[in-house]
Amino acid sequence: MTNKLVPFFEPKSVAIIGASAAPGKAGNDVLVNILANGYAGKLYPVNPKGGQILGIDVYSSIASLPRDIDVAVIILPAAATVKAMRECADQGIKRFVLSSGGFAEVDAAGAQIQREIETLIQERGLNALGPNTSGHTSTPVGFTSTFFPQGKIRGGRVSYVAQTGNFGTHTLKYILTGEHFGVARVVGLGNKVDIDETDALEYLGQDPETTAILIYIESFKRPHRFLEAAREVTRRKPVVLLKSGATESGRQAAIAHTAAMASPDRIVDGMLRQAGVVRISEYSQLVLAGKALSMMPLPAGNGVSFLAPSGAMLAVLSDYCERLGLHIPPMEPANVKRLQDISPSYIRMRNPVDIWPAALSVGVEAAYRDGMEIVLQDPAVNAVVPVMMLTPETGVPDPGFIVDLHKKYPDKPILVAFSGDKGAMDQYKAALEPQGIPTYQEIEQPFAVLSIMERCYRAMNRPE
Amino acid sequence: MNLIEEAVEAGKSALNEYEAKRFLAGFGVPVSRETLVPDGDGAVRAAEAIGYPVVLKAAGEKLQHKTEVGGIALNLKSEGEVREEARRLLAIPGCEALLVQEMVKGDRELVCGLTRDVQFGPCVMFGLGGIFTELIDDVVFRVAPVTAADALMMMDDIRTAKILQPFRGQPAVDREALARIIVALGKIGCECGNVREIDMNPIKIRPDGSPVAVDALVALKK
Repeated sequence: MTNKLVPFFEPKSVAIIGASAAPGKAGNDVLVNILANGYAGKLYPVNPKGGQILGIDVYSSIASLPRDIDVAVIILPAAATVKAMRECADQGIKRFVLSSGGFAEVDAAGAQIQREIETLIQERGLNALGPNTSGHTSTPVGFTSTFFPQGKIRGGRVSYVAQTGNFGTHTLKYILTGEHFGVARVVGLGNKVDIDETDALEYLGQDPETTAILIYIESFKRPHRFLEAAREVTRRKPVVLLKSGATESGRQAAIAHTAAMASPDRIVDGMLRQAGVVRISEYSQLVLAGKALSMMPLPAGNGVSFLAPSGAMLAVLSDYCERLGLHIPPMEPANVKRLQDISPSYIRMRNPVDIWPAALSVGVEAAYRDGMEIVLQDPAVNAVVPVMMLTPETGVPDPGFIVDLHKKYPDKPILVAFSGDKGAMDQYKAALEPQGIPTYQEIEQPFAVLSIMERCYRAMNRPE
Repeated sequence: MNLIEEAVEAGKSALNEYEAKRFLAGFGVPVSRETLVPDGDGAVRAAEAIGYPVVLKAAGEKLQHKTEVGGIALNLKSEGEVREEARRLLAIPGCEALLVQEMVKGDRELVCGLTRDVQFGPCVMFGLGGIFTELIDDVVFRVAPVTAADALMMMDDIRTAKILQPFRGQPAVDREALARIIVALGKIGCECGNVREIDMNPIKIRPDGSPVAVDALVALKK
């Protein structure tokens, strides 16, 4: 059965109810966004004033629209939304993106309007995203319903579901301006009057454009259905989730220890473990992990090697790996000997790799290149993090060797971190990320991300 | 389950320990060998049938947390000890009968339970048990129904997971048997709406690694 969200993400025709000719208005920005993304379907802006907006003919009323348009994006005040939906439904429109706020999230009057929307959805067999949603984005067809000025949204293979306006707006803006990866689909859930996280998960689970799913959520609308759907999806794709707002409300006075110890957050934790969903605890990890999941395969185990230019970093990062559950395995004697061969004899080489003496003796590029290749070849190592020491004085080698190593060892993720000159770091990031090598500003970040990826691998390969 | 329905109809808030264990045993949960008796004479006869040493517990609908009222006498080795403790326990307010149990050997104590969450419905708990359960607070939950794979994963998720490995000369805990207890709790949660909560604390691990519930509380729907 085709998922009910498919037409939202592959619409052939879209009506914009509340389209505006005034730059800076949401009803204008949404059209600017759609045009910037090269949407090839039909657009039907509706505004009583008629005329043209951005060169597109405007319809002066919903009643004058052609029948059976795939999706209507409604950008009207909350109070006008129900009437517009009803008129659209009369024109055969079944799917809605309800962008405005002012519903249950605001006051009792808004909650009343939201209930009217729910009733209308049930009576007429409609589907709706929102209300109070930042919209949705589908880069494979160049479509977005967001009114936040985004411009062209870069395509990619990870998809995001967010029960917050933050993600589809300014977090996505950061990804587009500060990072080099892109997105396949983005769904802003808003108040979840109809479409919820379970619908989104089921859709993305079967979406061939999506290889990993990242979710921010405040509550589960249908917890059991979510668990059931996630159990299945997580065997095929990594699902990473950040959940906030664990409430203590609704707990009964307990006579049993079990009930006394059953905090809602603990139960969510347990449910997500059953579901194979990897829970994260930091908002920034949605971006940091999304980047690595966009570019690298999952590590096939928790064995990590890293190469760092300082004993302090080796020690600190080793402790950090331990806390994260990452293992720094001893390497095969032959590989230890090969590491020793590129290094001065006064330094005892092992995993993790103290690379700076080797850099001084054979050069920065040769030391990192040969060192990385040796650890990549070791069977106990599932992932490699080079902490690149970059300064103009010690030399900033062409980062192409890292791209070459990834091509040669495509099954082991490489995540790059830095120490040294900020300009050189930025230069590396700009060179490596478009070629599919993720880089991280802080030395701890690649390890935090690897632990998330390793948990994804275990979840996908968990026993039946 | 007749036991449950009868108790609910009688207006009880919980099964007594003896009933609770019979109910759980019906779902395949291993429970300690025990007999419910009215008095000291009965206790002595039961102790001889079970074999010394035994445990004597005060039994009564209102006695849900027996430790707090001194309602448990452990490791009784003779008829004299049983008679003396029987007299003491029967004097505790709310004590209606005596429960004579085998004294289960083994150092390891775990906890399993069932609760009902407003959002997720029946949820199963597993963790480190004994008198420090809430203090140490090392438990994990799953949403019912729970599969055997879910149950096995719970055992890896507690901080003190090492307690399930070979310990002080005793073999590793029988994880499959433990998993069957956890799965059974989930099944009860899904099938028996009148069961509000369950605590099995402790589940002791016998020297051969097999788990057995030596105490159980089954709270009923109000």
